[in-house]
Amino acid sequence: MTEPTSIIALPAAPLHALEIWSNPQAVAVRVHKALDFALPAMNRSASNAAITLMRFEPTVWLAEGDISVLADTLGDDGALTAIGGGLVRFRLAGPGWRELLLEGGVFDTSAAVFPVGATAATVIDHVGVRLWVESEDACIAYVPSSFAQSLHHFWEEALPLIGA
Amino acid sequence: MSGPMRIATGDETIPFTFDGTTYHARPGDTLAAALLANGVGLVGRSFKYHRPRGIMTAGIEEPNALVTVGKGGRAEPNTRATDLFVYPGMVAMSQNRWPSLSFDVASIFGLAAPALSAGFYYKTFFGPAKHWMLYEGFIRRAAGLGNAPTEPDPDNFSQRAGFCEVLVVGAGPAGLKAALEAAEAGKRVMLVEQDAVPGGSLLRDPDPSIDPAAMVEKIKALGGLVLLRTTASGYWDHNFLTLTQRLAEPGEVPAHGFAQRLWHVRAGRVVLATGLIERPVPFANNDHPGVMLSQAVRSYVRRWGVLPGKRVVIATNNDDAYLTAAALVAAGAEVVALLDARATGPAAPAGVTVYHDARPSSVTGRKHALRKVTALIGGSEQSFDADLIAVSGGFVPVSHLHMQAGGKLEWNEEAQAFIPGGTPQACETIGSALSPPPAPAVAPAGKAKKSFVDFQNDVSLADIDLAWQEGYRSVEHLKRYTTLGMATDQGKTSNMVALSRLAEKQGVTVPEAGLTTFRPPFTPVTMGLLAGAGARNAGAHVRRIPLHGLHEAHDPIWQPLGYWFRPRAYPVNGESLQQAALREARTVRTVAGLSDVSTLGKFEVSGPDAAALLELVCATTVGKLAVGRGRYTFMCREDGMVSDDGTVWRLAQNRYLLTSSTGGADRMAHFISYVRNSLRPDLKCSVVNVQEHYAGIALAGPRARAILAALTGAEPPRHMGYAPATIVGVPVHVLAASYSGERAFEIHVEATHAAKVWRVIEAATRAEGGAPYGLEAMELLRIEKGHVVVGGEVDGRSTPQDLGLAGMLNKAGGFIGAAGLTRPALSAPNRNNLVGLISLEGAIPEGGMLIGRAGTSPQGHVTAAARRILEGGAIALALLEGGHKRHGEELTVTSPTRGEKARVRVTSPHFYDTAGERYRD
Repeated sequence: MTEPTSIIALPAAPLHALEIWSNPQAVAVRVHKALDFALPAMNRSASNAAITLMRFEPTVWLAEGDISVLADTLGDDGALTAIGGGLVRFRLAGPGWRELLLEGGVFDTSAAVFPVGATAATVIDHVGVRLWVESEDACIAYVPSSFAQSLHHFWEEALPLIGA
Repeated sequence: MSGPMRIATGDETIPFTFDGTTYHARPGDTLAAALLANGVGLVGRSFKYHRPRGIMTAGIEEPNALVTVGKGGRAEPNTRATDLFVYPGMVAMSQNRWPSLSFDVASIFGLAAPALSAGFYYKTFFGPAKHWMLYEGFIRRAAGLGNAPTEPDPDNFSQRAGFCEVLVVGAGPAGLKAALEAAEAGKRVMLVEQDAVPGGSLLRDPDPSIDPAAMVEKIKALGGLVLLRTTASGYWDHNFLTLTQRLAEPGEVPAHGFAQRLWHVRAGRVVLATGLIERPVPFANNDHPGVMLSQAVRSYVRRWGVLPGKRVVIATNNDDAYLTAAALVAAGAEVVALLDARATGPAAPAGVTVYHDARPSSVTGRKHALRKVTALIGGSEQSFDADLIAVSGGFVPVSHLHMQAGGKLEWNEEAQAFIPGGTPQACETIGSALSPPPAPAVAPAGKAKKSFVDFQNDVSLADIDLAWQEGYRSVEHLKRYTTLGMATDQGKTSNMVALSRLAEKQGVTVPEAGLTTFRPPFTPVTMGLLAGAGARNAGAHVRRIPLHGLHEAHDPIWQPLGYWFRPRAYPVNGESLQQAALREARTVRTVAGLSDVSTLGKFEVSGPDAAALLELVCATTVGKLAVGRGRYTFMCREDGMVSDDGTVWRLAQNRYLLTSSTGGADRMAHFISYVRNSLRPDLKCSVVNVQEHYAGIALAGPRARAILAALTGAEPPRHMGYAPATIVGVPVHVLAASYSGERAFEIHVEATHAAKVWRVIEAATRAEGGAPYGLEAMELLRIEKGHVVVGGEVDGRSTPQDLGLAGMLNKAGGFIGAAGLTRPALSAPNRNNLVGLISLEGAIPEGGMLIGRAGTSPQGHVTAAARRILEGGAIALALLEGGHKRHGEELTVTSPTRGEKARVRVTSPHFYDTAGERYRD
């Protein structure tokens, strides 16, 4: 039996905006060395056991997890700013999450163009959200806290339409 | 029409009502098919003359058979009976008639037709104005077709994105073939069809070699998406199309709560297989029930097994109608005459008499049923007893989407039709729309006054002739003067007939006469579809503040503020809003109050160049702020007008917090992003919007410092000082800022911990005799103190000088707006300046005009009105011409719309603690 598509609000997590303003190549080398992965390119993510970096803007990454190592690599070339209080994470899981994101959406969520590890800063029903494809079966949506309840309701209402 | 027109087989299992009478339909019947099957030929009344109207077509182009379907808020007016599939319990009502469809009092308008010709209502503008007052009521009552429901629509509406490499519009033979070929070539395909079943013309003219259902299954098996009951209603730039999908029939209770879906589709290539629409033929009374399009008759016979007439006359100028003759004969009808306007034609079915050089000139009937067809045959009149006339005046390619895509049309002389030509987008038209059958032009026979061209708007050939006589030469003017081609059908059956008439009058060819523009939507769409999800409030998602639940426990009066909802006041013991607000404001003035200020714009700016960025964004100095200090600031647009205000705080050596107004927060985010990323991308700094990361709690009043000291265990910072602290173990930023005029603090805390912090502050405040206060009390407090608000005094037209803020400007300049402020006009002495008003007599009406005496021009307006919180007496803030130098003058505030007036004295805008002593401990 196929699992139904579900929307689950996740507990608060440490989230920071990482912005790099100078010496990007040197910072990238330092980060790679410290975290054991390269800074991800636009609309991509990378992670280790402690932290996941997701790139949504040319000079800005969303950092989820323990930033202590990352903070030490930045020097005067960038900054980390806490933003976790303003975002609610939802896990959209199950076979219909890609179709669900088309409801009120504006971008192509098919696996060919939005594969595992991909990120997107987009709008869902006019609400700005950030998305990260956690696995083939799940996507994490970072929703502004003020819109979280309303968007959750919007998704719940749309669930019966998946596959319909 | 009398008696059922389909032999019952037992499949008539779906009950529905029309004008209160119960009938039964077969699965797959449209309402039109079911009504015809049940012998109902009269379906509606025309818009202007209330002429009886029947069913003319079998598709979306239907101009006559408009009904209201559904009940309550789900009711949908002006729905075409030909584009509506019957479901169990369907309730359909005819429109535009009283007291009944068969006896409509307003049909008397038909007798007044000579006075109600084209553009008659424009002519009512001539003559004395008092006459128009008479006409107006009559015209307004007569205007409109159908009644919009007064109850809320209970259904939800979906809006969904779609992506494909090939979008095929139309699942007729050409569209099916194109979609299948694209799918077999490995393309990502979408195929959309407005009908409930695929096949298009094959449903009328089956081809044993083509199985539409099997082709659809193949397309789906290859990964294609096939959407039935879906109309491509708009074709926009960059191959972006909007599709309207019916998830339930109009008026039907939808299975999942969603009635319709609006698709936003981006396609790599678009294939338009949209087919043809048949043209009617103008002759006298050609709008009578029993006059139908030839292909429609064939559809009812072959697709639905309905025989719309037993004695039929066919009138045509092309070969296609001969197929209708054959279908009717095969179904057992008698084709009493086939009138072919041409000199020759194909062989007719056995038993059908063909008359060449023959055109219908009029029809007559009784009790809304057709009885007689009169024709002009070789110059002589001849009549036929008939209960149906099937007409075909040629065909019009459905080129609406092609034109919406920016495509050109080419004139096809043989078919007397425009066919799709080149297009600037990745789009092509295929199938019959490219090659309509030859159909020569035929001069109409019969009285022009009764020969209708646009059936929805009762526009006749005579109306077109009249417009021509009155000087309307452009086809666009003709359209607007006569209302031709307007309303729900947008002229799908009328445009070409009318153009031919106009061209004839002008003595030019049809393409020389021109063509009106086709615009979206192709067929009508509901307002609900455009509005989208019902999860929204008034079209937008509600933004909830972090402490929404806590406030809700106090049952406050909520205030919509942009998308936000904030507590306006917390009434107790049955207080009114005004009573609660005054009590709350007095509590702040005398003890302490706490308020939710979470919606303030907040930006964290860090990096070695943070101060440089802020000195560009803010019109005040920032760089000299010491760590742990803050200051009031404001921002200007490039033209020098104040756009927002707030505070800026130096949290650490290279880290600042900038706050801005709630209403301007999103605008400020864009502004700072523009400055950071476009004007000064070289600056070494980071700007992060932390509006939602931090919840904000304002604590204000003479006891605020003591309450906060007790909660943090430390001395709070002095006025405009900053200090980090902890409250119940939660780290907070304490900003000693005041909007109320009292010693006050903003406590910013990570939103996820805000409830815990609010609870202890509220408890401590209440223990001191204080209470929470809402926006209304905040307004009283800030007006009394003379603080400006964005959207009130900061109205986008005020400079810092106007608002009395010039002394705070960064003397070194360099901020955005500094250049704009040097314009001489912004220093003119008669500019509107911020002033205070004290009432000498009467309450001051907010928004009222300031005048010297009755009858003189306004010199300013009241931006905000209040009363003194402790002493009483009306006060206000206002923008007044040259106001800075007019303190002491007496003026009148008048609000004619509310009938309110007050005598006031102009003062300084600061009514309370002008020395700022209450900020000091």
